[in-house]
Amino acid sequence: MSGLRALASNREAVLFALLIGALAVAALASPSFLQVNNLLEIGRLIAEAGLIAVGMTAVIITAGIDLSVGATLALCAVILGKSWHDAGMSIWTASAVGVVAGGLAGGFNGLLVTRLGLPPLIVTLATMALYRGLALGLSHAEPVHGYPDSFLLLGQGYWQLGPVALPVQFPLVALVIIVSGLYLSRSVWGRWLYALGRNEAAARIAGVPVDALKMAAYVGTGLLTGLAAVIYVARVSTAKADAGTMMELDVITACVLGGVSIAGGEGSIWGTALGLMLLAVVRRGMDLRQVGNAEQAIVVGTVLVLAVAAHSAWSRATQAARLGKAGARAGSAE
Amino acid sequence: MRSMVKCVFTLVLLAVATALLGGCPSKGPEPGAAPETSAAAGTAQPSGPKVAMIPKIEGIDYFNACKRGAEEAAKELGLQLVYSGPTENKVERQIEIIDGFIAQGVDVIAVSPNDPVAIAPVLRKARKAGIHVITWDADAQKDAREFFVDQCTPESVGYALVDEMAAQVGPKAKVALVTGSLTAANQNEWIKWMKKRMADKYPEMKIVATKPSEEDQQLAFQVTQDLLKAYPDLKGVFAITSVAFPGAADAVEQAGKAGKVAVVGLATPKGMKPWVDSGTVKTVILWNPVDLGYLTMYVAKALQDGSLTAGATELEAGRLGKVVGKADEVILGDPARFNKENIAQFDF
Repeated sequence: MSGLRALASNREAVLFALLIGALAVAALASPSFLQVNNLLEIGRLIAEAGLIAVGMTAVIITAGIDLSVGATLALCAVILGKSWHDAGMSIWTASAVGVVAGGLAGGFNGLLVTRLGLPPLIVTLATMALYRGLALGLSHAEPVHGYPDSFLLLGQGYWQLGPVALPVQFPLVALVIIVSGLYLSRSVWGRWLYALGRNEAAARIAGVPVDALKMAAYVGTGLLTGLAAVIYVARVSTAKADAGTMMELDVITACVLGGVSIAGGEGSIWGTALGLMLLAVVRRGMDLRQVGNAEQAIVVGTVLVLAVAAHSAWSRATQAARLGKAGARAGSAE
Repeated sequence: MRSMVKCVFTLVLLAVATALLGGCPSKGPEPGAAPETSAAAGTAQPSGPKVAMIPKIEGIDYFNACKRGAEEAAKELGLQLVYSGPTENKVERQIEIIDGFIAQGVDVIAVSPNDPVAIAPVLRKARKAGIHVITWDADAQKDAREFFVDQCTPESVGYALVDEMAAQVGPKAKVALVTGSLTAANQNEWIKWMKKRMADKYPEMKIVATKPSEEDQQLAFQVTQDLLKAYPDLKGVFAITSVAFPGAADAVEQAGKAGKVAVVGLATPKGMKPWVDSGTVKTVILWNPVDLGYLTMYVAKALQDGSLTAGATELEAGRLGKVVGKADEVILGDPARFNKENIAQFDF
């Protein structure tokens, strides 16, 4: 068991090394890259994807997927905007309403997955269209803007710590990542999530509350997406129905790059966070080097394919080692 | 097995390193990358003020033409031009790109925003960092930029479109409208003036539906097909982006309704030539995007060297001669019409 854990943390160590490598290369390539404030500014741009990726990691670990997050972000943004602008709520109440709406959207996904037993891919493909349609309908495709400055600070402000300008959303995202990372790796529910993803039938028989866990993963993703929507609206100072288009793909890319297995049961928040940072650093590095966007897409695609190939080779090696050990101990595996 | 894993990770690292250090498309892992979408404009000179030009979307005829005009002017003015935009119609990516330019420290940022409000915070940040900011093609919130390089007044565009439609199908027709994105400021502005022209001059012309095509030709094709089915008595389709227009024209042609349903819109003449030749489209309306890119660089230069300030009434812009300034805008001119007779002369 300790050997396994060492391997798992090793994988994140490799990702971490890759990240440091990418940082070093980007710094060599462009002198403006390594300025602390440039690095922190990247944090602002990936804050929303980071929050959603935390939820997405949990969902993928249950062997599910949530394609509706981009549309949910738009829906929450529009609901926030409308609650404030048309329903006359204070901006903070409206933000809370937006977050709750995200939870409800996630809950609806969860219900369809657990009660009707539909495949998450199909469910969230459908709700992706549904939520986007609701966002368009509710907003009449009109953006809502003109928010108070105190609210915009949430997305555009800084904590000034001496010469270092920390984007306001940075501590929040870090906190969410650390708390959920610890929860997933240390708590009973967190560990059950992996058991469920690895073998749902076995987990069910062993008394793991499978449906409640799945529900929690989708609702959690929805709430985090709602929170991301609040930060998004504050960052771009407008709420509109085409917000977060294709964001689900960016988020899933980060998860997969971070070692979360689409087959379920494998991966960690730490890996996802590293995957997200790696992508952001590579992208920003290429922007600063003025690598064209077509080439950037090719690079990101190539990196992703190589990372997935590496992980698959890695898990086969791990599997072989485990089977070998179990075989030596008991004479038979499984 | 372990060594294979290491090997693959090394490959990943190498790919990242090549991408960051190389910066040259020929070193990319695949040969398919079109050199013209490369951000590093080959014509840029090594010194002189650095101007970052950000289109709404990269790699389409219209913005390629703008880029060509900008390159021409950059050469004349000794500007370092860097051209980079999103590959999808996404303001989020535009924000990211501009943020990169701020970190890099350019002299002027010239952007055609996908969203006037969402782009504003990052533009304000650029101005705070001492970078000159202009918008071209589409505007942002006024306080976020110093100048807007306007192709034509939205009024003249809207009027030209509606007058052309009326000339083709008569003043009482039922028409539909295929736009880019329902939140795009300039398109909505044109639509506003189109409606005004209809109300003033052709009160019996009616827009039965307005559909977005999100800068996606396939989607424009599809929504036009749907419109033709849903409204059998449709007489005309407005398609007011360079991506929507060919999609809409193709749908009308494939439905066998060429000549029965008029397609009037804004696009580059080269992109529309097949449908103009086949007769499905009679007139293409547009300003000259090469000139727009060209003028944008002259405005950038004049702003950077301090010769252009708010309230200027005219600007000397190279081969374009004197152009009109209006408060914090510079205006290229009236829209042009391209038809069967003249379309072959234009290479954009």
